[in-house]
Amino acid sequence: MKSRAPLAWIAWLIAGFLCLACRTHAAAAEERVYSASALYNSANAYARAGKPGLAVLNYERASLLAPDDPDVDANLRFVRESAHVAAQPRRWIDPLVTVARPAVVAWLGVAGVVLIGASLLAGHLAPRRRRTRRAALIVGVALVGFTVSNGLVLWPKLHEAVILTAAAPARASPVPMGDPLFVLPEAETVRITAEHDDFLLVRTRAGRSGWVSRANLAPVVPRR
Amino acid sequence: MSTRFIHRGTLLALIAASLVAAAPAFAAVPPVNATLEPSQIALGESAQLTITSSDRGMDPPQLPHVPGLELRIVGQSQRIQIINGRTLASSSFIVRVTPQTVGIFTIPDVAPNGEPLVLRVTPPGGTAQSGKFSGSGAPGVGGSGASGIRMVADGAAFVRLVLPKRDIYVGESVPVDIEVGLRDGFARPNALPTLVGGDFTLNNLSHQPEQARRAIDGKPYTVLTWHSVVAAVKPGKFSLSVESPLTVRIRTAPQRDSMIEDLLGDPFGQNIFGASITKDITATSPSSELTVLELPTEGRPPDFSGAVGSFKIAGDVSSNAAAAGDPLTLRMHVTGSGNFDRVDSAMLEHLDQWKTYPPKSSFKASDALGLKGEKIFEQPLIASKPGTHTLPGLAFSYFDPGTHRYETAHSAPLNVTISPSLADGSLNAPQLPAGAAPSAGPAATASSNPGLRPDHIATEAGTGTLVPLYLQPRYLAIPSLLALTFAGSWLGLRRRMSGSSNVLGGRKRGASKDINRVLNDMETAARTGDAASFFTLARAALEAGRGGDSDDIRRFLALADEVNYAGLRPTHEEFQRWLQFMRDAFQRDELSGGKLS
Repeated sequence: MKSRAPLAWIAWLIAGFLCLACRTHAAAAEERVYSASALYNSANAYARAGKPGLAVLNYERASLLAPDDPDVDANLRFVRESAHVAAQPRRWIDPLVTVARPAVVAWLGVAGVVLIGASLLAGHLAPRRRRTRRAALIVGVALVGFTVSNGLVLWPKLHEAVILTAAAPARASPVPMGDPLFVLPEAETVRITAEHDDFLLVRTRAGRSGWVSRANLAPVVPRR
Repeated sequence: MSTRFIHRGTLLALIAASLVAAAPAFAAVPPVNATLEPSQIALGESAQLTITSSDRGMDPPQLPHVPGLELRIVGQSQRIQIINGRTLASSSFIVRVTPQTVGIFTIPDVAPNGEPLVLRVTPPGGTAQSGKFSGSGAPGVGGSGASGIRMVADGAAFVRLVLPKRDIYVGESVPVDIEVGLRDGFARPNALPTLVGGDFTLNNLSHQPEQARRAIDGKPYTVLTWHSVVAAVKPGKFSLSVESPLTVRIRTAPQRDSMIEDLLGDPFGQNIFGASITKDITATSPSSELTVLELPTEGRPPDFSGAVGSFKIAGDVSSNAAAAGDPLTLRMHVTGSGNFDRVDSAMLEHLDQWKTYPPKSSFKASDALGLKGEKIFEQPLIASKPGTHTLPGLAFSYFDPGTHRYETAHSAPLNVTISPSLADGSLNAPQLPAGAAPSAGPAATASSNPGLRPDHIATEAGTGTLVPLYLQPRYLAIPSLLALTFAGSWLGLRRRMSGSSNVLGGRKRGASKDINRVLNDMETAARTGDAASFFTLARAALEAGRGGDSDDIRRFLALADEVNYAGLRPTHEEFQRWLQFMRDAFQRDELSGGKLS
């Protein structure tokens, strides 16, 4: 009887954490501001209205919520090509994020943590089933690694922005004076590296940097 | 000597005779005369009441109390006249009469014949006669002096309106200057000046006018100047003036005292001796004649909106290239000087293949008066068809008062290239069913792409943020706490197991001490040949241990009984052999975890 007490305690703890996780998920869903389908449909509407900047922005946002949706990816590429904006090159690690939606990946990560912890504890409590424990440990590490990799792949997208105006001037300094260094086309996706007042320092895929007015672009993940 | 006496006596007789003759005259009331000059003054000015008596030693007169008037004796004079050898003496009292309000006042009981004196007091302004006491060295007091300035309120202030010396047109904005001069220490403004008459409009005046110090006829004035713009609302000849509410101090001291104070620099003497009064007046500037001409009807353009002045226009468009359906902004810049509030334009009301919207305007003045600047009209336009379009030049009509005729300014036409809309391409393209594999690769072109995939039916629940769940702090707390819990449990288990092995070791260490103690006691008993003690100790130790089942132990216990009950005396070798046996037994017992004590 004495040896079963820690297992019961751990089981209660895990049940409590799962309840907390469910409440967290439910609280997030209560806000219901963004929906992958709604963003995708909005992007389609903007594309049909001839506004590629807003279309790309909404496709990018939809792909954050539903990276496994092939329609989002196809339409995003189509609008970019129609607007004569170079499509983003695919990386070898990109398919990793299209396997499952971020919410599923998140809970897989939690399951991985539980497996790792349970297998380590079982080594002390039930030392005989060594193979089972090792298998659980490997699966748990794999799940946690998958979640972490997914986050690393998506992390840069959280700091990206889409040009919304026809010709957004990028300047050498965050003031609306002087000739622009270069002009960014509408629907171009850039990376935000700094901000100052009404200007954002952006970096293009070609590696060029310049200050662009906030009015000319919108971040993929809105700032609160 | 006698002749002298005769002459002196004659003289005394004559004096005496004359005194006697004049006695009735002394006994009677001497004749008194009172005059008031002028009989009509403006409020803020003073009149002079002169009370004259033929009595050389006249006592100061008892002045009557008249509500609304302040009477104050400010001087006394005596006059001796010799006419045909006859000496006529008279004395006069000079009384300053200062009205407190407008009206007709009667001053009774001054002249002996009972005839009252009447003083008419009119509102301050240019219509009143100059007061008797308003001199005090000020130039042209109550009228235009050498400097063209009409002083009011005893020279304490002046108001002036500076107009252009030409005819103006209806609606034309004309710059004017309004000057209010304030004698230091004598006047201060109560409110902003206002235009008299409703035929002109005056722009709002600043509460912080220009200030300058100016000496007028040797006296220091602070001159407040407002630069503004007036515009006539109808044609005709008009008298234009401004009025300014002021608070002034008016001297009540005699003129010569005032002159001395002026020389000494004022106004302290008046403060000390209380020879001034404070009044609120409204000072009015002299009227200026201005002719307002009507705008000619001949040659008036149909799009004339009432702009009068000198203007230029220029046009531009927000972008020379756009897609069909994209909004463009057509701008018209109107620059110059004139009444920009009447500058208006409908810009392009109708244009083929364009959808036009009403324009909005904004004005940016380049001077303080708003007479000069730039007015920008912005009109949204949307091209409905692709191609190269030419936006026609814009026109703006105005009346130029310099040339006295209507002018129309034109801007150059603008070329705009409209490309096909992205919307047209996507809508015309066939749509793939949702979920089909995308054909567009990185190298795919728009022409090879079949088009947009159709909309989705929104069924999933929304989320509050676009940040993936595993990057949200509230989610990260869950695996972190789980990991901490598992780590704590693992550490707890390790510690518990480590703790139980420590207890066993302690017990073993205690048993070893007991064994050593028993063996020592047995060695002592063997040395002394105390067989009873030896075997008692051995029996007790073996009975407490686990090795009691072996044959050697049974034989040893049988030997111990023989020693105890049969008196058997073991030899030294036997003691050593059984001592070694006990050592071996204790060692086995210790290895197997037995307890000896």
